[in-house]
Amino acid sequence: MKNKQIENCITVEHLNKTYITYKRGETFRETVKSFFKREQVLIKAVNDISFTVPSGSIIGVLGPNGAGKSTLIKMMTGTLFPTSGTIDVMGYMPVKNRSRYVRRIGAVFGQKSQLIWDIPPVDSFAMNAAIYNIPKDVYKSRLDKMCAMFDLGDVIYKPTRVLSLGERMKCEFIMAMLHEPEVVFLDEPTIGLDVIAKQKIRSFIKAMNKNGTTFVLTTHDLEDVEQLAQEVIIVNHGEKVFDGTLHELRSILGEKKIISLTFDKAVKDFSLKGATIVEKPSDREIVLEVDTSKASVSKVIKKISEQYVFTDISVKELPMETIITHVYNE
Amino acid sequence: MKNKISFLSKLHSALHLYKIGLKVAFSTELAYRANFIMSSLIMLCFNILFPLVTVLMYQWSSFPGWNIWEVLLIQSIFTIAQGFNSMFFSGIFWQTNERIREGSLEVILLKPVNSLLFMMSSSINPEGIGVMLGGGIMYGFALYHVGITSIAFFVQSVLFFLGGLCVMWSFTMIMSATSFKWVGNSRIPEIFDSLLNFGKYPSRIFPQAIQAIITYIIPVAMIGYYPASALLGKMEISQLLLLIPCVIFCILGMLLYNWMIKLYEGVGG
Repeated sequence: MKNKQIENCITVEHLNKTYITYKRGETFRETVKSFFKREQVLIKAVNDISFTVPSGSIIGVLGPNGAGKSTLIKMMTGTLFPTSGTIDVMGYMPVKNRSRYVRRIGAVFGQKSQLIWDIPPVDSFAMNAAIYNIPKDVYKSRLDKMCAMFDLGDVIYKPTRVLSLGERMKCEFIMAMLHEPEVVFLDEPTIGLDVIAKQKIRSFIKAMNKNGTTFVLTTHDLEDVEQLAQEVIIVNHGEKVFDGTLHELRSILGEKKIISLTFDKAVKDFSLKGATIVEKPSDREIVLEVDTSKASVSKVIKKISEQYVFTDISVKELPMETIITHVYNE
Repeated sequence: MKNKISFLSKLHSALHLYKIGLKVAFSTELAYRANFIMSSLIMLCFNILFPLVTVLMYQWSSFPGWNIWEVLLIQSIFTIAQGFNSMFFSGIFWQTNERIREGSLEVILLKPVNSLLFMMSSSINPEGIGVMLGGGIMYGFALYHVGITSIAFFVQSVLFFLGGLCVMWSFTMIMSATSFKWVGNSRIPEIFDSLLNFGKYPSRIFPQAIQAIITYIIPVAMIGYYPASALLGKMEISQLLLLIPCVIFCILGMLLYNWMIKLYEGVGG
């Protein structure tokens, strides 16, 4: 009997990052005072975080603004020194062997561009091809393939400054993927994009993941996580508050379902054992939350149909927002 | 043998990177044609205008021991160095400064190349060509009037000129290094520019203390004054030792910059 062991390509242990910033008051007097003497404030951006990422997976890092997600990603890409703790990515310590390490990774920062603003993306691509020593024919075929995946057409020949945000983000992905990195870090890659662009980028990530690329993704967009990530880490105030699969995250509030009902006439004083009303959009509509570990969905529907006549019904999962808000607040 | 090969391949890839950066910098500049032509002209005018002021000044007073052509020789060499500086070096300061303020230095750190070399190659400013050309023409005129008396003097002058470039390079390094700790310091070059002014005139006109400072501590005299003096045969061979402070200054500047990159903490995202 052989145990198939999944190899971890990223191992993070007891990672810490502490910053010193300066506090400044808001009144004019305090502003003047702070010009001469500034009060130091110690900020723990990342506090004792440990986790592992299996090769070839997509892991989502969630957290509110300022939770320490970007700091975490920066340390993993080797551009920021950890205060303490270790990071191992494919056998490299990111900050130690930076120039050899970064050759094997890619990164897309939603808020920082790697493209050169004044010239067309294709010139930036050519620059990266030269930096990573990609042979001309390989570069050409990779570029054509990725442009086709993104439907980019002649967009890559226009100056970067005239591109729409969606077009630019697609080009950022090409820029980061041309050298076919094994691990790719994405920091809020879908921020500010429209639905279609988001969808295109998600299917691109999925396709690349199928070829074996590991992705670490920070985002605020729960759709990103639901569609892409197999595992989720939630960070809040610099600390890891959840680490597990999407399924485990869903069951954190128990096995709950949301049932929306529309009745044939106005319903007053609706009550049902095992179900709680979470919303009443109108006097003919009711949204219920049902704990399926106590009462099965079929039982609940049966009970309702015995007492009332409804014209429409839908059963859904508990919204991700509710779960995440619960985790953040804990 | 292995070391030699790896050094050669390193050098080769460095040159290759520089070539790419050069291409990118030129295409960036040429993207705005009108701006490129205008700023080349403006830079040329400003840099040529300055020696003209010297000529006017000379009508009323003079620098002891130096005739007008000899002073213009200093200033033409200074102008060439200035053009070289603005074409190859000063972009590093502006790019470092801006990237730190915006927190986008990571983008460079993510590339598998020497950050300083990448920054240097991608921030070349082709407008400097105009200044170098202007300085070159002026140099030709001045040289025509003073004449070269010996090849040895000329070689010595070129060595001093290279020393002057070392000084300008270290200025760029020190200024850029300060950007890491002192974010948004866009006025710093003005301080350095005023220091540079000491290199535009014969050092003898300054008090002894200042002469010592601009020769040994912050060797700005090396930028225009020493190369011109050497060319005119006013320097001893032993004075080539004066290049030592320049080289030290240069190495210190570079070490400081690389150290600052190591310390760089990012502005947070």
